[in-house]
Amino acid sequence: MWNYSKKLMEHFMNPRNSGQLPNPDGRSEVGSPQCGDAMTLDIEVDDDDRITDVRFMTFGCAGAIASASALTEIVKGKTLDEALSVTNEMVVEYLGGMPEEKFHCSVMGHEALEGAVRDFKRKRNTVRKHLEAMFRDLSWDSAGVLGGTPPGIAHVHPSRVLLEFPGDPGEGAVEAVSRELSGRVGRTVEVKVKR
Amino acid sequence: MKAYLDNNATTMIAPEVLEEMMPFLTHRYGNPSSFHSFGGEVMKEVEKARSRVARLIGAEPEEVFFTSGGTESDNTALRGGCSINPLRSGLLVSMVEHPAVLNTAKKMMRDGTPVGFVPVGGDGLPDMAALAEMLVPETGLVSIMTANNETGTKFPLAEVAEIVHPSGVLLHTDAVQAPGKMELDVKAMNVDMLSLSAHKFHGPKGVGILYVRRGVDLPPFIVGGHQESGMRAGTYNVPGIVGMGKAAEMALEELSAVAGNMKAARDRLEEGILESCPGASVVARDSDRLPNTCTVLFKGVESEAVMTILDMEGICVSSGSACSTGEIAPSHVLTAMGIDPMTANTAIRFSLSRYTSGEEIDVLLDILPGIIEKLRRISPYA
Repeated sequence: MWNYSKKLMEHFMNPRNSGQLPNPDGRSEVGSPQCGDAMTLDIEVDDDDRITDVRFMTFGCAGAIASASALTEIVKGKTLDEALSVTNEMVVEYLGGMPEEKFHCSVMGHEALEGAVRDFKRKRNTVRKHLEAMFRDLSWDSAGVLGGTPPGIAHVHPSRVLLEFPGDPGEGAVEAVSRELSGRVGRTVEVKVKR
Repeated sequence: MKAYLDNNATTMIAPEVLEEMMPFLTHRYGNPSSFHSFGGEVMKEVEKARSRVARLIGAEPEEVFFTSGGTESDNTALRGGCSINPLRSGLLVSMVEHPAVLNTAKKMMRDGTPVGFVPVGGDGLPDMAALAEMLVPETGLVSIMTANNETGTKFPLAEVAEIVHPSGVLLHTDAVQAPGKMELDVKAMNVDMLSLSAHKFHGPKGVGILYVRRGVDLPPFIVGGHQESGMRAGTYNVPGIVGMGKAAEMALEELSAVAGNMKAARDRLEEGILESCPGASVVARDSDRLPNTCTVLFKGVESEAVMTILDMEGICVSSGSACSTGEIAPSHVLTAMGIDPMTANTAIRFSLSRYTSGEEIDVLLDILPGIIEKLRRISPYA
């Protein structure tokens, strides 16, 4: 048996934030082909780039499961940049130490977080790209709900955008943008109006 | 501890074995090599033990040399066997040998010995056609184990002998897992050398033997005094040797009586696991296996995690996982059988002994399904 700390064992036996999110803003799947471990990590991010929810699933040893659990606890509530600055050493320290031979088991969590953040940014860029294209060429707006003037883009998120309209947009305009954008992105993207 | 199901790692010492050893740990401390009868009387006990071990494997007592255990015996057989004839220094071993053989072979290869690794099939058995092809004029020794420690698969040594002996190649077998679980007869197996370790069959740790067929001109293992006919110097480990003798006698006597019980208990454990744990499968289930061993793959669940919880519950097993030992790769045995590394990392080995009780199996079957279920819930591959 490895000399696992009490706290590590506690996280292994009662992992926090395990599972998957139904509609994650960012998801990653990473594996270590060397030792055969693997995990998934889902994040939910608010409009301030803050991680509001995080879930993991791990195929791995007690050290890998506890490290993933600890990482989710540490990064929850942090901004993406803050979360990415969390090091492997901080996770090990949070767990009250780990046998040196097992350090590699905890590395996967950080890779998974990087992957989930990358996925979040990729999704966000996709939404932004489609939105910008939509506003450059308004030919899709055959009904003319935007009146020929595109709104400004205040904030983009993988599942919602915040738009600034010159005047008061009608219900029809918000709905039409959301429908067109969701169609282009391939999943539902909510449109909010900045007042 | 509630259940000890790791008997392929080591076994409990039989009470009868300890009893026979005790005088030699206390008042009968004479050196068997001494002139005086205080020591000379002890030599009689060493020779009695030699006869008992010889009987276990169907050998002559003078063909049995005591060593410090299986690893020393394997090292000696491989290094010695390849040095008898300088023109035939080549070695072939199977890919699923115990590290005592495998790592010795790898070291010899680094030092310049021509070494080949014989592949195995999905059933865990060595590929006989490959073996025949790999035999070359420079091959001097082939080492193939009697039964695999991880899967329990028994290897057809007599068939191996038929392939290697006509080319004048010597055959060694690591039979460490066999005593008390299957019949051993060096003549029927047609081997030239065979390794045993006492602690795998209820004897003490730190003692083993190497059987060397009469006529095989093996060089001395360890040089020094004239013990073991000059073959293996060093003062006799008398308590260990006496204990091994008694353990050998018991393994032979009890084989017919207990092998059936052991297999029934193993099969109950195996069927119980397959019924209660979804996604579980037994490795090499259809092969001819030792009656005490089974390795189970638990889909989606890494075995070190399972072992960690089992350990908390007082249940001892072992695994094919990389993580449990600090190794970087999972079981070489399972991967050699074509099992991918991730699946090999789900392997748990259960190994029984003649002392394993029904309660021990009940405890395991009671606790294991819940553990597998718990870990499958957080696994991305369940």
